[in-house]
Amino acid sequence: MRKLLSISVAIGLLLTGAAIYVYQTSQPGTLRMRFDAVVGDQPLVFNDARYSNPGGAGMFRIRDFQFFISNIDLHGEKGVYRLPDSYYLARFDNSSTSYQIDLANVPRDRYSAVTFSIGVDEVANGSIMSVGDLDPNSRMAWNWEVGYKFLLFEGALIDSDTIRPLVYHVGFNENRKTLRFNLPEEVAPDSSDALIFTVDVLALFTGKTTVDMAALPSVKFDRDDARLLADNYGTMISLTPTTDDAQ
Amino acid sequence: MLSLCGLVLIATIYGFVGYIGPKPTPLQGFTAPFVFGNFKVPVDNPLTQEAVQLGRRLFYDKQLSGDNTVSCSTCHLQHLAFTDGRARSVGVSGKMLDFNSMSLANLMWGSRHFFWNGRVDSLEEQALAPIQHPDEMAQNLDDLIDELAADDVYPGLFKSAYGEISAENIARALATFERTLISSDSKYDQYLRGELKLSAEEELGRKLFMAHPDIKVSLRGGNCIDCHSQFLTSGFNAQFDGFSNNGLDTEALLTSGLQFTTGQVTDRGKFKVPTLRNIALTAPYMHDGRFTTLEQVLDHYNEGIRVSDSLSPLIMEADNQPQDGVNIRISLNLNEEEKRAVIAFLHTLTDHNFITEDKFSNPFDADTKPDA
Repeated sequence: MRKLLSISVAIGLLLTGAAIYVYQTSQPGTLRMRFDAVVGDQPLVFNDARYSNPGGAGMFRIRDFQFFISNIDLHGEKGVYRLPDSYYLARFDNSSTSYQIDLANVPRDRYSAVTFSIGVDEVANGSIMSVGDLDPNSRMAWNWEVGYKFLLFEGALIDSDTIRPLVYHVGFNENRKTLRFNLPEEVAPDSSDALIFTVDVLALFTGKTTVDMAALPSVKFDRDDARLLADNYGTMISLTPTTDDAQ
Repeated sequence: MLSLCGLVLIATIYGFVGYIGPKPTPLQGFTAPFVFGNFKVPVDNPLTQEAVQLGRRLFYDKQLSGDNTVSCSTCHLQHLAFTDGRARSVGVSGKMLDFNSMSLANLMWGSRHFFWNGRVDSLEEQALAPIQHPDEMAQNLDDLIDELAADDVYPGLFKSAYGEISAENIARALATFERTLISSDSKYDQYLRGELKLSAEEELGRKLFMAHPDIKVSLRGGNCIDCHSQFLTSGFNAQFDGFSNNGLDTEALLTSGLQFTTGQVTDRGKFKVPTLRNIALTAPYMHDGRFTTLEQVLDHYNEGIRVSDSLSPLIMEADNQPQDGVNIRISLNLNEEEKRAVIAFLHTLTDHNFITEDKFSNPFDADTKPDA
């Protein structure tokens, strides 16, 4: 009788433990994405004319660099999970020159790919509602008739004694770039491995077409110029190889 | 058992304090245009009727200064959209201060850093600084608390709004009153709500305001929106995006500005971008009040920019006429008609209801209120 009791207690405990385990592993969790900025093979340092004009003479400095990441989709075994209202303004003016997104309430799954856009979708771009980091009163807004800057780069090109302002504001619906990254290893919510990306600021001027900043010191509303920079920034983000792979 | 007794005791005390503590009334009918965007009120200082009433009285009360001659409203007059009409303000010491008095409108939006150099991060923190500044109000906070405690009216007002009379609660009440100072009924607001059309000149000015010029696509622009957001017309909210060097001085004459707060030399000469709401009423202009008219302001942006290292590249680059690309001469190159149009648009930001609203007026003047 005593023996029977201990066996049933043991079974009960086991079942409870299993139930708790199943419950916990079925709960949504947090997935972290991190974007580390570099400039070619150099670190990103703001307000320092340490970078060579990729297409011509002079050195350039970066005063501001920020862009929108939106419509993040996680591709898992159970399907595609679209993060609601995922409009994030990535900026790197911090001590680690990186930008981090903690995706909350991500359903429990094994994710093998992630897609997101640089820029914002047509609906959001034509709206004046504040959603996520979209704010029509922010510096990323042109005005309600034009929409948002998808990417903003401001700085200066210094060539001998001449200081020339650099202003690259790229927007327009056609310049949203949707990127897909297949993950070398599947990730699950709350796993310690963050999704780590490298953002190469220099690719804005070298990605597909090399830009001479002296010849093209500003890009705003000219569609061809904007497309040229957008095609370049479409190449600026890559998955950072894990330390194991790098060895 | 002992810990259980402790718990019961704590719960009892908590319940008792909850019972005798103030139960202020949440502010009713408080609204703002959705185009202003989201706003946050501190969790520990909600908008309540009692706090607004107390804050309004404190704002207008000369007891807040050391010699009882100056109140907040001395430098923030309602009929001037809460500015004082002086280039630089003057407080109890009679000395001219370093800065121009800033308008108090729509303070829950735009930059979260206050003062021209952004040195505090909340309205609560802001409120206590002028009170204690030796040239502004020169008041010792402990003395002020004693004065208010001896007053006929304040103990009751504090009790119903917050509880005790303290420096913290003085700051909270002033901040709460300031948060209610919303200007949202200008001609521009009425235009945004679809209630009226702007005149042809105002509309030209609006278009220029909202555009960074681009010669390549023949877009003319006044470049205002690069610093002043489209609906709020204030500086930007995120981090220190709402601070800019707008080319007032050469490198040699540049004062510290935001550098005082951040310690970054690249922030030297950057100052807070103010709201342009009611700008036609808030002369003189700039952080040091150097310009007396909007015409001078437009002339500055059009052809008076001084170059320094932290000068906004957006100002350097903005031009409505092609340049030879070698000798860069900074000028917006707007024509006279366009400059007048921008000024006409700026006048649509004047809100008569804001400057005559009873709820914002001096409660000590209740009997001698001028007609609106």
